[in-house]
Amino acid sequence: MGLDQFFTTFKVKPTRPSPAMTITLAASLILFTIPIFIRGSYMLHIIILILLYSCTAQSWNILSGYIGVSSFGHQAFFGLGAYTSALFAMRLGISPWIGLLIGGLVSAGFGLVVGYPVLRLRGGAYTAIVTLAFAEIIRISFMNLVEITRGELGLWGIPVFPSIVVPGLGKISFEAGARTPYYYIVLIIFLLTFFMSYKLVNSRIGLAFRAIRESEDAAENLGVNLTKYKLLAFGISAFLAGVCGSFYAHYILILMPTTVLASGVVIDMIAMTFVGGQGTLFGPILGSFILISALEYLRFLMYYRWLIYGGLFVIVMLFAPAGIIPKIVEIAQRGMIKDLMRASSREVED
Amino acid sequence: MVVINSQLILEAILNGIISGSFYALVASGVSLIWGTMHMVNFAHGEFYMIGGYILFYSLTLWRLNPVLGIILAAVIVFFLGIGIQRFLIHPMIGKPGWEHAPMILTLGVSIFAQQAAMLVWGERYKSIPYFAEGTIPIGGISVAIQRFLILAVCSSVIVVLWIVLKRTKIGMAIRATSQNRDAAALMGINPFTMFTLAFGLSVSLASIAGCMLAPLFLINPWMGHGPLLKSFVVCILGGLGSVEGAILASFLLGIFESMGVILISSEWKDILAFIIMLIILYIRPQGLLGIKERT
Amino acid sequence: MLVVNNIDVYYGDAQALRELSLSVNEGEIVTIVGSNGAGKTTTLRTISGMLHPKKGTIEFLGDRIEHLPPYKIVSKGISHVPEGRGLFPQMTVLENLKMGAYNTEAWKKKDETIKWIEKLFPILEERKDQLAGTLSGGEQQMLAIGRGLMSLPKILLLDEPSLGLAPILVLKIFETIEQLHKEGVTILLVEQNAHRALDIARRGYVIETGTITLSGEREELLDNEYVKKAYLGR
Repeated sequence: MGLDQFFTTFKVKPTRPSPAMTITLAASLILFTIPIFIRGSYMLHIIILILLYSCTAQSWNILSGYIGVSSFGHQAFFGLGAYTSALFAMRLGISPWIGLLIGGLVSAGFGLVVGYPVLRLRGGAYTAIVTLAFAEIIRISFMNLVEITRGELGLWGIPVFPSIVVPGLGKISFEAGARTPYYYIVLIIFLLTFFMSYKLVNSRIGLAFRAIRESEDAAENLGVNLTKYKLLAFGISAFLAGVCGSFYAHYILILMPTTVLASGVVIDMIAMTFVGGQGTLFGPILGSFILISALEYLRFLMYYRWLIYGGLFVIVMLFAPAGIIPKIVEIAQRGMIKDLMRASSREVED
Repeated sequence: MVVINSQLILEAILNGIISGSFYALVASGVSLIWGTMHMVNFAHGEFYMIGGYILFYSLTLWRLNPVLGIILAAVIVFFLGIGIQRFLIHPMIGKPGWEHAPMILTLGVSIFAQQAAMLVWGERYKSIPYFAEGTIPIGGISVAIQRFLILAVCSSVIVVLWIVLKRTKIGMAIRATSQNRDAAALMGINPFTMFTLAFGLSVSLASIAGCMLAPLFLINPWMGHGPLLKSFVVCILGGLGSVEGAILASFLLGIFESMGVILISSEWKDILAFIIMLIILYIRPQGLLGIKERT
Repeated sequence: MLVVNNIDVYYGDAQALRELSLSVNEGEIVTIVGSNGAGKTTTLRTISGMLHPKKGTIEFLGDRIEHLPPYKIVSKGISHVPEGRGLFPQMTVLENLKMGAYNTEAWKKKDETIKWIEKLFPILEERKDQLAGTLSGGEQQMLAIGRGLMSLPKILLLDEPSLGLAPILVLKIFETIEQLHKEGVTILLVEQNAHRALDIARRGYVIETGTITLSGEREELLDNEYVKKAYLGR
């Protein structure tokens, strides 16, 4: 019930923007100005990571939180996008700009390949294990096809985005070390991702997704075409993850199966989504922000930071299993209910 | 091209049975937890790993013999499992609308355990010597005694598990809880107690497997990852929730993998398991011995 | 023996039972009749601890039991044979029966009790090594009742034993229930089939939308115009 309330707050009123909309727009504008204030290249790097991981977490959230399909193999979509884009650039000389798209499409295609058998599965455990299996098949294949992917050694020296000319700003170069241009690219991806998610959630498709998540049987009885929507969810989700992977490849410039195709990737996605709030719009953003900040600012704790990461995750799961945002909504609701009760009891006394 | 003769096949089958026994030990725990608690334990591999480390320190630090070391590992992990179940997992069970939460929690426990292991024990791989050197001949093939021990110990433990489940009062209670939790409660069975017991028992089994295999592979914080995935495959092959199915599927998978390695190189071996699982799921979604999903 | 006092029971926010009261005395066979969804099963589930009332009390032999968890109820002497039988499908008939006595004093006497039950339901002896899930509907019901008796309960709660059974089996089941009563078992029977229920019960309650609307001796209820029209089809 708290989630629906949350969604309702974000419905666009035709006459004037709701306070929530205004805040969101303001926040987006602020995001655009960040590089002006943040000078440190390292800080900017962290923010780039936060934005990027928000998007990858959101890709998982769409499949798991919106439509309720628990994917434990999502790393394959991310890694596939990354490797595809990198290899196309390195072997075939294709521009990384196009690589972003190709990475997304290849992942989306694989998403459909995985989605199809998953359709018949009922039960989160089966889905989790099957998606994991697909991801492992990809990972092992990439590790073993050494001639193409250099296997465990990974790909080094991946080409950066080629410079573009922006009217008014001149030539913008993406050579490694220039964080600002990368920041704006990831910001655009971020804004597009969440704008699209917002639209999705408030559309008929989003409604169908929610119905399927709540009860597949009921949804089916109401005439919702499970196949179409589940495959759609897989496609969108995988495409997004693939685009993020491609960006990652041309930003970090190094790819290894252990960094982009291993379960660590999906565990991050899951952790961020759950900490922030599964099925919510801003959950992945909050989760990404919290977990990446925690990791970076606890750097002084050296190796313990990963321990804290795991511990934090466990603690949040124990006390706010739906995520921090739903928990806040719940507490706020309880507060509202208490106020309502106090108000009504006062009426009775009068 | 490899010459395929009966010797090779026999060796493959024997190797398969040996791996099968080890898969079965780990997987039966996963299956037991799934059956009783309706939850996939993503941290199962970490208990396997902890078993290996306890054995390592038993041998090197405390100078115990392997048998004592294994028993120590089994006991410590049993209580560790009970603790984790009681304090971390149990609060998550039954919260309406969050059936996935316990599963995700075990994921968190898994991360935590791996990192803790790395911190406490270091990331350098550790090795321990074989429990016994030499080989013995079985059916004309010389098998390393260590590998034979794996088969012997894993199989024996599985038999003990079987006896406990099928012939003891408490085993009946565990089975009843997995078949119909509410009815079991009406019979006077406290589901919480059953969960704790099943969990402790299951992870203890995994730790024994970890000990047995430790001399063969190096001990490291991530060693549980592979066995975890194999257990999942085997549980699905055998039918999620059926311990017998998991055991049967383990041996079949082991043999199939060993035979497969004759034809394709070993680095692709793990993919075989996944592909088989996907195929079987397509043809027979309930697994070999599973029952069609009841609510 | 059993006194249910003004209980309110909710499923989440929806109220299922409203100020429901009833009582069962030792040696009686009492029935609750009502249509689907009236709250019959909910009542039994509350007595056996699967649900807990928000208000009201349940007393059994002087002890308050409304807040006990279900696994503590059976040792008090209350045995609930749930709707749909609630058997353990991959366990044998014999194992199911043994489970009935699991956590009670009756475990020590289980072999004798099993013999008694096999006399009551000879088919169970025949099928004793068969998996419960493979039995027919009627056999499953007999097994469920048999299992319920294994704890040598002071009161047996029967939830819709005739559900889904062919008339001839229904007859047999009710004959057995009556026989049990003659042997001294106190029974609280919940039934949709008012004919059969009022045939064997001495006293009855009528439940509608979560509360008791009528109660009385069997003859009173059988004579009652409303009961006749609504539940007996006359």
